[in-house]
Amino acid sequence: MLNFFRRLAADYKEYILLIVLSVFSLTFLSKNEKPQVKHLRTFAFGNFAVLNEISSSVTSILKNDYSLEELTKENSKLMLEVSRMRKLRSENDELRAMIAFKDTSKYPLIPAKVISKLVNKMHGNFIINRGKSDEIKKGMPVLNEKGLVGLIADVAENYSVVQTLFNSNLNIAIILQRTNVNGILSYDGRELHVKDIPTTYDVQVGDVIETSDFSSLFPPSIPVGIVTKKESNVLGLLHNITITAFANIPGANNLFILKIVPSKQINDLEMNLLKQN
Amino acid sequence: MLKSFLKPILIFIPLALIQLTVVPLISIGNIAPNLIIVLITYFTLKHGQFYGTLLGFILGFILDLISGGLIGAFMFSFTLSAFIAGYFYNENKIEFNVESFFFLVIVAVCGALNAFIYSVISNSNAEVNLFLLFLEEGLFPGLYTSFFGLPMIIFSSRKGIK
Repeated sequence: MLNFFRRLAADYKEYILLIVLSVFSLTFLSKNEKPQVKHLRTFAFGNFAVLNEISSSVTSILKNDYSLEELTKENSKLMLEVSRMRKLRSENDELRAMIAFKDTSKYPLIPAKVISKLVNKMHGNFIINRGKSDEIKKGMPVLNEKGLVGLIADVAENYSVVQTLFNSNLNIAIILQRTNVNGILSYDGRELHVKDIPTTYDVQVGDVIETSDFSSLFPPSIPVGIVTKKESNVLGLLHNITITAFANIPGANNLFILKIVPSKQINDLEMNLLKQN
Repeated sequence: MLKSFLKPILIFIPLALIQLTVVPLISIGNIAPNLIIVLITYFTLKHGQFYGTLLGFILGFILDLISGGLIGAFMFSFTLSAFIAGYFYNENKIEFNVESFFFLVIVAVCGALNAFIYSVISNSNAEVNLFLLFLEEGLFPGLYTSFFGLPMIIFSSRKGIK
């Protein structure tokens, strides 16, 4: 019997190895959110990112990126300010007070440099040179001078992983700036979409999309993109709209992290309400 | 056995650096070559299917960790790709396999398979068309990857990596 198993193992060792390793891989895949696995990943990318940063500084010559960091930072602040002003203009006086309360431009912007990218159609992510030592926390929004890029997905001591908009796991609550129509932005591997908007709602090509007040991931009024295509479904009851992001995500080199964790803000508000009661 | 993994792992480190910092600059609309698969294919054709499958698993695990991506995705796709590359292994044709243009064909096959498996694993969209996914996410990156097998042919035919 033992001999039989020995012969079987010798004859089919490649297949046995493949099955064992595949099971290991798939087990790891299913345990990606476990704290131990997260710690391991954070430790690994945090250390290897040092080499990435050196390599990135060499390859930055090829990137043809001579923009001044400070100017870009100022531009990002202005972009947020313009977005806020547009919204203020289109709403009435009563809402202005509320909008002022949700003003995003008062939060500090932390400049960061992309040091490596994982090019993948479904799971776009960047590693940036800012981490826990810069008070970066998981969930902070990441943007550039044009608009939203993504959010912080993982943080090591000096480096962080950014999950970009071009990631099928990231769904964002958005609002159409002109008509206040709400929707969920998602990525299907090709384009950014907002699905199932009733045809009775006023949506036009060229409408500006920004993050919604309902978003638990992002603060409101961060510009996301523009509507480039509008399609009705078979019954003609719902629209699917295609969005082009303002930010050039694949070519992004200089980013900014908005030092805010929206869910914490909501928590604080809820705590205040409880205190008042 | 362990010693034989040292060389590919040492070559892997600079290749991974290039993969994460330089390759994004030469990607064409999210279609990027995978340099690691060239390395795995090469060593699989040199040392056989068993060795290659194990090497694919190890390098996939390391790449998953250092790229900040999903842990297990590259592990699985590299393991399967190396296993397939192992079918081209022939003790009597090692030189032909790694020093001729046939190597590029094998890299293209393994590269396409690797890119396709990785896309399927990381795709959370249930409505996706697998055939289109294979064309866009498998075939094109595979062909692009095979182009980077060219230096390996030149290098190995001149000096030989033993």
